[in-house]
Amino acid sequence: MKAFPTQEIGSLPKFGWRTKPFRLMALTDDDLQVAREWGDRLQVDGRTDLYRLLSKRYSFSDEEKKTIVDFSLLYAIKMCETAGQGVAKEPGLDLVWSGEQARTEMYETPVSNIQGFEFVGRVRSFDNKYWRMASIRSAPKYKENYHLDELLFTQKHAERKLKVPVTDAITIMAWSDNNYYTGKWAKKAGLPPAKRSFSARREFTLELAKIIRRVIRELIEKGVEEVQIDIPAATQYQSEDDIKLVAESFNETTKGLDATFSVHSCFPPNTGYGILFPHLLEMKKCERFSLEYGNRDTFDRGLDAKSRVGFEDLKLFKEYGFKKELGVGVIHIHTDTLPSVEVVRDRVLYSAKVTDLPPENLYVNPDCGLRTRRPEIAQKMLDLVVGGAELARRKSG
Amino acid sequence: MTEYQVSLTGLHARNERTIQATQDWERSRINEVTLKESFDKDCESLVELQRHAGAEYITDGQITLAWQDLFRPISSGFEGLEPGPMVRWFNTNTFFYTPIVKGAISSDGKVLSRVIERRFVDHGSSLKIIIPDPLTFAELAEDRHYGSKEKLQLAYADAIRGELRTLSSLGVKYVQFSAPSLVYRLKQKPFSRSELGQLGEAVRSALKGVSLRSGFYPFFGDASRYLPELFDAIPTDDVGVDLTQTDDSSLSATNKGVIAGLIDSRTTYLEDVESLAARVEAVVDRTGTKTLTLAPSSDLRYIPRVSADEKLELLGRLRARVRRGGAPQKAKASSRRGAK
Repeated sequence: MKAFPTQEIGSLPKFGWRTKPFRLMALTDDDLQVAREWGDRLQVDGRTDLYRLLSKRYSFSDEEKKTIVDFSLLYAIKMCETAGQGVAKEPGLDLVWSGEQARTEMYETPVSNIQGFEFVGRVRSFDNKYWRMASIRSAPKYKENYHLDELLFTQKHAERKLKVPVTDAITIMAWSDNNYYTGKWAKKAGLPPAKRSFSARREFTLELAKIIRRVIRELIEKGVEEVQIDIPAATQYQSEDDIKLVAESFNETTKGLDATFSVHSCFPPNTGYGILFPHLLEMKKCERFSLEYGNRDTFDRGLDAKSRVGFEDLKLFKEYGFKKELGVGVIHIHTDTLPSVEVVRDRVLYSAKVTDLPPENLYVNPDCGLRTRRPEIAQKMLDLVVGGAELARRKSG
Repeated sequence: MTEYQVSLTGLHARNERTIQATQDWERSRINEVTLKESFDKDCESLVELQRHAGAEYITDGQITLAWQDLFRPISSGFEGLEPGPMVRWFNTNTFFYTPIVKGAISSDGKVLSRVIERRFVDHGSSLKIIIPDPLTFAELAEDRHYGSKEKLQLAYADAIRGELRTLSSLGVKYVQFSAPSLVYRLKQKPFSRSELGQLGEAVRSALKGVSLRSGFYPFFGDASRYLPELFDAIPTDDVGVDLTQTDDSSLSATNKGVIAGLIDSRTTYLEDVESLAARVEAVVDRTGTKTLTLAPSSDLRYIPRVSADEKLELLGRLRARVRRGGAPQKAKASSRRGAK
């Protein structure tokens, strides 16, 4: 087994030539130039067909748009499989995906494909970043498998091992407007207000979990071996009942399924990931927790607690006797300011030190998906992941 | 006889046009002047809606680039502070930059006056400003200077006092201290009486020599564990309770104004006016308050603007309903989107 294996978390940025045809915007000279530069750099197979297609600039047919998305998937696969080129002796991430290029976004794609949701408008997450909120207006029902085509294409073209990111029920519940279940539970007399709103959340979540289980089961039937359950909202509702529900929802989602499962979460409250313990460890089938830490760390080199302040929370895993795998987020993904590769190395080594996990059990990844960064920054971030892990490997012998 | 008021209690959702403008601005498709025009129009429409709902004190909804989060003008504008890592804002899918306390906190007293929409004061509105309370600041900041939460609260209060005096001199009429950290205690023990007393002292210090009406609003949690002491401990004119998290039965008699967070700001589901009116009646019966402010449970930024505005309109209808008096009717069956 390789020490400090590397992985991405899911999304990669979309190029203008990928998004504009869907917004009915004409492609510019810059868009065509970017497609060529990146296509040549990544050595994407068949890229001249894309260049020819994009030169049309506007009025793409549905079939042509599908071809554009397919190329976008190819670019993303190549970005993952060549990450670290020129920086590391062994480039390429160990676990890859196609950058969620076929998805609108990790929330919007599932809710668009589950019956019962209605989009109600955009809500601000931070600064000038927003998500399109959907409101649940009736009990959710399975409509179709929203990841199947993406999987089949990626399986055909990726050379490395795949890990399919799937948004979990807690996150869909937490980012949606819970109109239907709030109304349903508002009519139940005699419950304290907080209990009523929790009951509405729980019922909504567990209904969604059944649908997501079906989506994943169909992916497994097509040969998927590893699934990353994305729970960025794991630390959103923080009561004891809600944290138990995160584990219950994961167990309900993975019930009866045979694959390797990991969990990704990020951006907890200022109290850190401690709020998830011990219930986090009740996720029976979870083999790896991939969490964000780089955001809270310093840019200083060093293996001391002060330099690596962002990684202090990792101690919790040791305290609770955790022996499985961890994915440590070593790059803050909401800034273009990057750490040096030596700092990334130190983040990896410090993580090994405080968790006492063997290096084979410690994956290295960015804090979260990279969709909000420009492609050149995202590429540098992936380079740092691969380069930093390699330096850590050398240092740890 | 109780006077019923309506008030917003935090950052308001931006409208779709402003959202698009911010994205266009970030992609350099529009300039800052055009962006400002969008924000201005957005604020104006919100102010108009508040007037229509009968709000006594108007907020600008903090719909500006300056208020990206509740701390931002303070963490960016005060000496000794700077914005740090991004962390989750309580149990929401929104995030804020942690204020890092790098040195002694001070301000020139004009930081907040530079980021409020003064034109609404000039046009005769009673403007309300909403800021973090000392406890929430101390709990969420990363302190590298004071070494004690009590000292940090007092230092923050000292710096805020100058700001409030300036705002008062400019015609602002009301300050609300938003205090989610007081009641959002999950695994942690509730704050002790003595800690509540320290908070009261910090608020008193912030308000010393300030001629503004004041309110203290703890939300996102159950306030019952601090009742009835909270009303005595906090020296503001009004004290609020998030009634989507707190049972009415924990309220008792007070001489203060009560901010009643009755309308759930976390969902588009529209509550039934008659059911709300029944709860208002219960709150008035229990507290005997002379001033009851009908409010959303927290900021109305967690749902899209159209829905946030519907909630504000609902507050206006509720005010009209309770002013009209009469026994609340039995709740009608809800429509698909909730009862109108």
